[in-house]
Amino acid sequence: MDTPDPQSLDRYHRQMLLPGFGEAGQKRLAESTVLVLGCGALGTVAANMLARAGVGHLVIVDRDFIELTNLQRQILFDEQDVEDSLPKAEAARRKIARINSQVRVTAVIEDINHTNIERLAATGEHGPVDCIVDGLDNFETRFLANEVAVKHGIPYVYGGAVGTVGMCYAILPHTESGDSPWEKAGRATPCLRCIFEQAPPPGMNPTCDTTGVLGPVVSIVANYEVVEALKILLGEYEVVNPTLLSIDTWANTTRQLKVARAYEVGNCICCRGRSFEWLAGQYAGGTTTLCGRDAVQLTGAGENRLNFEHIAARLRSHGEVKLNNFMLRAQITDMNEPFELTLFNDGRAIIKGTKQPARARGIYAKYIGA
Amino acid sequence: MSAITVQIPTALRPQAGDHEMLEVEGESVRQVLDGLCQQYPDLGKRLFKNENEVNRFINLYLNDEDIRFLDQLETKVKPGDELAIVPAIAGG
Ligand SMILES: [Zn+2]
Repeated sequence: MDTPDPQSLDRYHRQMLLPGFGEAGQKRLAESTVLVLGCGALGTVAANMLARAGVGHLVIVDRDFIELTNLQRQILFDEQDVEDSLPKAEAARRKIARINSQVRVTAVIEDINHTNIERLAATGEHGPVDCIVDGLDNFETRFLANEVAVKHGIPYVYGGAVGTVGMCYAILPHTESGDSPWEKAGRATPCLRCIFEQAPPPGMNPTCDTTGVLGPVVSIVANYEVVEALKILLGEYEVVNPTLLSIDTWANTTRQLKVARAYEVGNCICCRGRSFEWLAGQYAGGTTTLCGRDAVQLTGAGENRLNFEHIAARLRSHGEVKLNNFMLRAQITDMNEPFELTLFNDGRAIIKGTKQPARARGIYAKYIGA
Repeated sequence: MSAITVQIPTALRPQAGDHEMLEVEGESVRQVLDGLCQQYPDLGKRLFKNENEVNRFINLYLNDEDIRFLDQLETKVKPGDELAIVPAIAGG
């Protein structure tokens, strides 16, 4: 009996039988680099499938450590990882090395923001990536990803999931020169900002950490993302889904929302106006480590006022919440560490219990929202 | 007057009596939303930025077409139409 060679293309036999793949397609995947932004629920599922499909290089970025409540849906992690308190990106790298040794993984343990996203996606040592896959948990970073995609002409697959619902949408961006292969094929799509002009304000939208999320929903959405990413990597632009896919697994509805006209009619500031406000740091939630207080202050994104009642109602299941007209204060235990979260109604927050801006931003995104 | 179906997203169901779907009468998207918000004033506060503008992180799709590219709030509706309220999903 021959010993099967894990380094050969044999392992992809069932995939190479599919239209658009073959040996040539498989080699094309092996030469591709995908940036996975965030390695939580969506990110682990996406990274897992991309690695198994034989995408040659994955750059996986995440700022968090693994905790027990992640295991319900974050499929690359296990109890040992929780015990070892591994950073998510590093744990994903180790797990993928065991799944498919043909795949190179660059694990980046960083908070994704306007200061590093261009390096990660385009100007870093691995050069411009072939596709960005969304594993994020907030809209602020998604608008950054969207702007990098548009500015540098990199396809970006958006995915979002919360509760029992999810969304997926592939952006084949309109570029400055207009000569990308997808534009030549007549398949450019509106950008994320063409569709959603504004990020949902903090506290307005449910987050997975306060509302909950169904494991299969995350899996469904991330797998749709991977399907679109594979089409893109193979250059099969004519079959990329041009609609915004919206799925409600509890109401049993799936919608393909028609968004194609959003580019022509919408006059988008990003992909038509070529103005990259999020990349410029214009909306960056500033953070200041409060000296000697074991606390970090986060400056809110501005115009939107917080609804304390809504936020308080959600936070009560996590600990004691007090509120008055000016502020809300909640005691939260996150990854076995106690935090005191104080929110002001201009969106500003002080998170006591850490000196790390990234950790504070993580707490804010988890419990208050994007 | 004709009734159409309005799909309420999970995030806004607490403000809409926990309904997934509601039958609302009206001849335009605006009339339908006015009717809806009269019945559920808290929903109105979440949906609208001001009288004439829906919050920009929420889209409205009539039979899966974005009303921004139809006649916006004045888009006519007919019996059996479906209006979906679709907020951006930030989780993941
Ligand atoms: Zn755009």
